[in-house]
Amino acid sequence: MDKTTVFHRLYSAGLSIIREYPLLIATLAGVVLGLLLIIIHVSNFFSYLSDRPETCMNCHIMGTQYATWMHSAHREVTTCNDCHVPQDNIVKKYMFKAMDGLRHSYVFTLRAEPQAIMIKKQGERAVSDNCKRCHELLFLSPALKNENLYNVDTSEGRLCWHCHRETPHGSLRSLSSNPYARVPTTESMIPKWLVDTLKKEQAKQSNRK
Amino acid sequence: MSDINEVIRKKPWIGWSIFLVSMVTVFVLGLFAASIMERRTEALVAYTPAKPIPDFEPRLKVWGENFPREYVTYLKTQETNFVTKYNGNDVKDALEEDPLMVVLWAGYLFSRDYNRPRGHLYAIEDIRKTLRTGAPKDAHDGPQPNTCWSCKSPDVVRLMQQMGPMEFYKGKWASKGHEVVNNIGCLDCHDPKTMNLTITRPALVEAFQRQGVDITKATHAEKRSLVCAQCHVEYYFKGEDKYLTFPWDKGITVEDIEKYYDSINFVDWTHALSRAPMLKAQHPEYETWKMGIHSRRGVSCADCHMPYISEGGIKFTDHHITTPLKTINRSCQVCHRESEEELKQNVYTQQDRVMELRMKAEESLAKAHIEAKLAWEKGALEAEMKPVLTLIRHAGWRWDFAVASHGASFHASTEMSRVLGTSIDKSGKARVILARILAKHGVSEEVTMPDLSTKAKAQKFIGLDMNALKAEKDIFLNEMVPKWDEQAKIREEKY
Repeated sequence: MDKTTVFHRLYSAGLSIIREYPLLIATLAGVVLGLLLIIIHVSNFFSYLSDRPETCMNCHIMGTQYATWMHSAHREVTTCNDCHVPQDNIVKKYMFKAMDGLRHSYVFTLRAEPQAIMIKKQGERAVSDNCKRCHELLFLSPALKNENLYNVDTSEGRLCWHCHRETPHGSLRSLSSNPYARVPTTESMIPKWLVDTLKKEQAKQSNRK
Repeated sequence: MSDINEVIRKKPWIGWSIFLVSMVTVFVLGLFAASIMERRTEALVAYTPAKPIPDFEPRLKVWGENFPREYVTYLKTQETNFVTKYNGNDVKDALEEDPLMVVLWAGYLFSRDYNRPRGHLYAIEDIRKTLRTGAPKDAHDGPQPNTCWSCKSPDVVRLMQQMGPMEFYKGKWASKGHEVVNNIGCLDCHDPKTMNLTITRPALVEAFQRQGVDITKATHAEKRSLVCAQCHVEYYFKGEDKYLTFPWDKGITVEDIEKYYDSINFVDWTHALSRAPMLKAQHPEYETWKMGIHSRRGVSCADCHMPYISEGGIKFTDHHITTPLKTINRSCQVCHRESEEELKQNVYTQQDRVMELRMKAEESLAKAHIEAKLAWEKGALEAEMKPVLTLIRHAGWRWDFAVASHGASFHASTEMSRVLGTSIDKSGKARVILARILAKHGVSEEVTMPDLSTKAKAQKFIGLDMNALKAEKDIFLNEMVPKWDEQAKIREEKY
């Protein structure tokens, strides 16, 4: 039996299953699709297409990274993706996001995250490129000629953060170093009781008039 | 086309494979969904207090059991051990330091007693002790309304939620002394369920509503200033109800607020010497911070006054709210690269310059008040004095605006210099007109100034009997206050 025949037979077997048991197949496909939809929903899937730092906080283990960024001057000008995702072209950007995201989701699901999260090689390259993207002028100095700069492939030279160690995430990076890191909350800071009280008060005042 | 049943009958493994593949797919997807849900719940649990905090719990200790680091650092607001060039956290008599203020506030309670600000954990003690709240003999006595409690305690949140702000503000200050006993605490800024930053004072929400500003979409960084803006702002008590109101409808600059007050003919008090319809600035910290470069660059109150701190491998927000001059390393050097000493001197240089103008503004304004007093005594007419009094009102307001917010000389030093400049300009103009009025009524030589070198002399000059005021206050503190605490203790045992 050659390969084409195997493929052909499986294909026709599939078709005949669908013809024979349409109800069973529809139910099965529905279950799988439904489960996929649940996953898309509970994982905030579409947020991953954006650049919002809140997205990275979908996994709470990023609390330390979020909190330290929130307390640094970089919060004024950058989001997580500005530094940690290649910004030179859109295809590269989304490829990187997809690759990184897949690895993250598998590590996170298997609970394989290390106590102190360290950056990977591809990540180093992206961050390094992004440092240079904004701080371009700093590289005009003859002291920073290209041969002194880090080469990710040969691991020679220096990276920006080999000296600027605390920029911007500080020196404490363990998962437990920020027990109460504030996760960004998008909801209003005016509590419900106050909204209700004010409505009542305003109604009272307009009645008076 | 072969029949599938036939195929499976012939090769049962195909049937089993189909069954297995479907089962594994559904199992793995289900597992994945469950895992995501589980980890999402984990995130919720991580930030939820281990020991639930009841709604509207005003007592610090109950919250502190869940958040020991934040609690212990917050307790440090009780310290009185740090002095900067112009302020600090210990008790110091500001009128003794600068007796001219006694004259500038003649006829107003601030001329009796005004101290350097202390930490949040002195809120209740200090408002009870100050002579500005008088010496009530019963619940319906005394110079101040309940509105004065508004910023002093998380008990206010508890009461506002029960009775609404209008009812809360009603009545004399002494009538809620037994209700409001806990110092400013967690509930004032935090949601007890989620620990999110939250606004608990209606005045701030109402002020933004009237301006048409939507703060429900405030960012995290903005929230870190807005919680402070609940109290550290300019405010007034509106109308008969003494309804706490922020005068921001026309904007938050010194001129905008002045225009607002003029448009509603608001008067804090009539000056005892010049009879000018005066305005008292409270403590426009939020407004003056807004006018400065740090605000412009997105630095929030908490960034400097509650910097991050690392202790034993843990990072958290230092809840010891105090001057950043005490925490230069964690507050300033996070962004600035200069030495601590250099940064401190930079702050002092800005403050020195504003201070110089402040003293000139006070001197000119005090002279205007005293000259106006003489003009009235020499028979000046209302119509003659009207432009003078308006100029004095505005000069006094602008001086007070720059001074009342203790941090303004740093938060917005150029703007405060400008504001003090306009104060000097206005009191100067008032004095030019006064010189003409005085000449018309027979006074051609310079008006001699009284000796105002100490607080006692200044208070005597404006006619205050300080001994009587202090004696009354002692009776109040020894007789009424212990009863308040007793009643509160009985109530809190039932929580």
